[in-house]
Amino acid sequence: MESVTAVVLAGGEGARLRPLTHNRPKPLLPAATTPILEHVFDRLLEAGVTELVVVVGYERNRVQAHFGPTYENVPITYVTQDRQLGSGHALLAAEEAVEGTTLVVNGDQIVSSTVIGDVLAAHDESAAATLGVLARSDVGSYGGVILEDDTVTEIVENPQDDRCYRLNAGVYAFEPAIFDAIRRAKPRAGEQSLTDGITALLESDADVHGVVSEGLWVDATYPWDLLDVSVELFDAGIVDPDRDGVADTATVHESAVVREPVAIAPDCEIGAGAVVGPYACLGENVTVGSNAVVERSVVDADTRIGASATVVDCVTGVGVTVGNGTTIPGGPGDVRVGDRVFEDESLGAVLGDRVEDQGGCTYVPGAVVGSSATVSTGATVRGTLAAGTEVRP
Amino acid sequence: MCGIIGYTGSGTGDVLDVLMTGLSGLEYRGYDSAGVAVANSSLEVYKREGEVSALENAVPDSDLDGLAGIGHTRWSTHGPPTDANAHPHTDDDGRVAVVHNGIIENYQALRRELEADGYTFTSDTDTEVVPHLIRSALDSGADRETAFRQAVQRLEGSYAVATVFNGSETVYAARNESPLVLGIGEDGHYLASDVPAFIEFTDRVVYLEDGQFARVNPSGIVVTDDQGAIVETAVETVDWDPEDAGKSGYDHYMLKEIHEQPTAIRKCLRERVTELEGSIDVAELADLEVEGPVQFVACGTSYHAALYGARLLRERGVPAQSFLASEYDVDAVPLPEGSLVVGVTQSGETADTMSALRAANRAGATTLALTNVVGSSAARECDHVMYIRAGPEIGVAATKTFVSQQVALAMLSSVVSGRGSQEFAQQLRALPDQIQQVLDESTAREVAAAYEDADAYFFIGRGYNAPVALEGALKMKEITYNHAEGFAAGELKHGPLALVTDSTPVFALVTEGDDVSKTLGNVKEVEARDAPIVAVTDIPDQVSAYADHVLEVPSSGPRFTPILANIQLQLVAYWIANRLDRSIDKPRNLAKSVTVK
Repeated sequence: MESVTAVVLAGGEGARLRPLTHNRPKPLLPAATTPILEHVFDRLLEAGVTELVVVVGYERNRVQAHFGPTYENVPITYVTQDRQLGSGHALLAAEEAVEGTTLVVNGDQIVSSTVIGDVLAAHDESAAATLGVLARSDVGSYGGVILEDDTVTEIVENPQDDRCYRLNAGVYAFEPAIFDAIRRAKPRAGEQSLTDGITALLESDADVHGVVSEGLWVDATYPWDLLDVSVELFDAGIVDPDRDGVADTATVHESAVVREPVAIAPDCEIGAGAVVGPYACLGENVTVGSNAVVERSVVDADTRIGASATVVDCVTGVGVTVGNGTTIPGGPGDVRVGDRVFEDESLGAVLGDRVEDQGGCTYVPGAVVGSSATVSTGATVRGTLAAGTEVRP
Repeated sequence: MCGIIGYTGSGTGDVLDVLMTGLSGLEYRGYDSAGVAVANSSLEVYKREGEVSALENAVPDSDLDGLAGIGHTRWSTHGPPTDANAHPHTDDDGRVAVVHNGIIENYQALRRELEADGYTFTSDTDTEVVPHLIRSALDSGADRETAFRQAVQRLEGSYAVATVFNGSETVYAARNESPLVLGIGEDGHYLASDVPAFIEFTDRVVYLEDGQFARVNPSGIVVTDDQGAIVETAVETVDWDPEDAGKSGYDHYMLKEIHEQPTAIRKCLRERVTELEGSIDVAELADLEVEGPVQFVACGTSYHAALYGARLLRERGVPAQSFLASEYDVDAVPLPEGSLVVGVTQSGETADTMSALRAANRAGATTLALTNVVGSSAARECDHVMYIRAGPEIGVAATKTFVSQQVALAMLSSVVSGRGSQEFAQQLRALPDQIQQVLDESTAREVAAAYEDADAYFFIGRGYNAPVALEGALKMKEITYNHAEGFAAGELKHGPLALVTDSTPVFALVTEGDDVSKTLGNVKEVEARDAPIVAVTDIPDQVSAYADHVLEVPSSGPRFTPILANIQLQLVAYWIANRLDRSIDKPRNLAKSVTVK
């Protein structure tokens, strides 16, 4: 078989997903029950990739410990980007680890293997780069590409004018010329972006091709987007309730009710009378106490949901405790992130890693609780709380 | 103590590749010298002092065509690590080459006899008697196999030996009290001290038993007993992912393995603990019945785990004691009827532990192996086995296997005592995330920077923290080469305090439930001598006032918080060794699996 190396950019934190990125980068956040990056690897392998080069940086130990030296027998080489100075800078870190044509993808967005396969098939070495693009209506929030036939004429971040943009899917085949192009491009605010590198290629009259594909493309910008991402994965059949429904090593009490679709990872325990689902994703070693309700939520590993608690429209980090009888009734609610307010988001709560809720608490929709915060018995939680906060009734 | 590999296959030219790959996979067993012998019309022997990479440089680039070959990575027992003492050893004119793991106790008598017959010795090793014995039998007219059998039958002690002859494609092997496993591949056959040596080529194995011989040909393997009768053998398939052995972006295997601990514990607990029912159920131990007291036998880090396990049992009313395996024989430990003797050994091959288990077996005790290696000698010879499921550990300094042993022993204590509780199960299930939390938040690297040039390091702890103090000191010794000692906290004032100065940091393990005020009293004794204090604690409010540095851990009750404290000490030792630029994965003079007594 032909060998295909993919460079996966997984060095950035993804700061807009705080507080969930307190201890790990965005690529390790859960899409359903497995890290986004694991889905990215799966799609790459489906498209025929035989070797992975992963650029790691922010909390890289977590990425390396999760995947180890191989993924499904495909060897992984880790390349460290010590400071995260843009996607172009990240790719430069991998320069020594690759040769010839290189496939490059983002480690924090899930793209169908069709898009990846189309880029690999369309690229020929006469072009300096081939980009995978999609026809989408929401290009303004992401990267836009102007295409004339199959040639890229312009590439723009967050385009706001009304020209006909295609969505940059973040899937690229590059010839080695990209490295010099990134170096040539003038950094913005100290960062070297891949987009500017591609613009530099265009300015040097190199051929940059675009190939229009169809298929799944999901990206989580804010923590609550992880709920939609999981729903999309269920609906697209990527998370398959028959295969990923209830892991063999999970224990579900005979009187518990599992309402599909759900994804319940290994070592979970679900107590008597609990109701889990629909669209409930439980990471490994999660405990759901008796008579608790978990619905439309992404509950990450090692989290414990107490007896008779209600958890709806909720995203948790790892090792969270939701106490007995706590109620997270679910959205819509207003969410405050920095200076911005997002109105009427369907969000029960975002709980950072190891938040400890001592039970009998109530969450006003849209609450965002920082890592390791303590919520005392009987408290009401609203708004956005910093890491380590203590909430008293 | 060493690793051996042998190969014979139908494809020519790849013999050397297989041997070198095998030696890399065995380096954890010892690495002060290495060598290979490849048989064709003559024997080509290459050997070098140093790591396997030194041997790689010494072997000529041109393809070494061969019919069969053997290789060896050595950890010295007889004679210093030199080119001459490296294996393989040969007879006078290079017709026989031998590799050996173990100790030949009667080698001096044999050597005198052979020298008197005119054979010339070129090394200080016990092994060199073997090729001369074989040659002597050949000279008196025996065929190759008979000569090999006659030679081996004269050996007393422990051995796994493998031999090749010039002009032969057969590898002959025998074992007694040293591990040896055969591998059955598509195009050839393998033998080695341990499965990782050839796991890249095959996962189908035959375990050789003590007293058995093997004739390994490209076409097949024949196993015979000491009388020469053919033995039926069972082919087993090992479940071991060969790819688990990469550093995956970490500078050292040790750091990788430290970060693998949450995953290792998940695997250890899987399908054994049910929190909502408060039950602990270890499938392998379903038919274990314990009527008498429990004795643990172990060495090194495993001994520290055993101390921890014995304490857990005692707390639950089961009489339990730990013994150093190397002292168990000579200690004449009384073994009451109905006793259970538990051997704690990562590799399942530790010679001292095996010897103690065999003694217990002979004395009629029930034996149980708590080990990481499926199919190891301990697993096969004991009445019961419980696996710790930590996965392969390459770093010589044990990290994840120690934690997995502790967790497995906690479950064993529940099984043996018949007592479990929802709280106990819950605390066990919380460990993977709590260990992750320590890894996420540890400031051990800064502590290491502050104390990298200390004169010595002391570790004190009480109760469940006492074995952790011993283990913390052992880690520090192993990889930093600095002096370190661990004590039960109360012992400090009975002598060791004389060594405490302002340049000997004291690591105090103070966790809730272990008589905090007493341990703090010991901390104050040290503080009064101006020693820097590093407190490892889950109750910083009570402890910080006495400490120069605090390494905080989550609370998990008196039994389990010490498991978390240990993670901090692993990291401190690692970062100090890293700053001192030590050979962290392969510390000088040490080997991973000690298969000599």
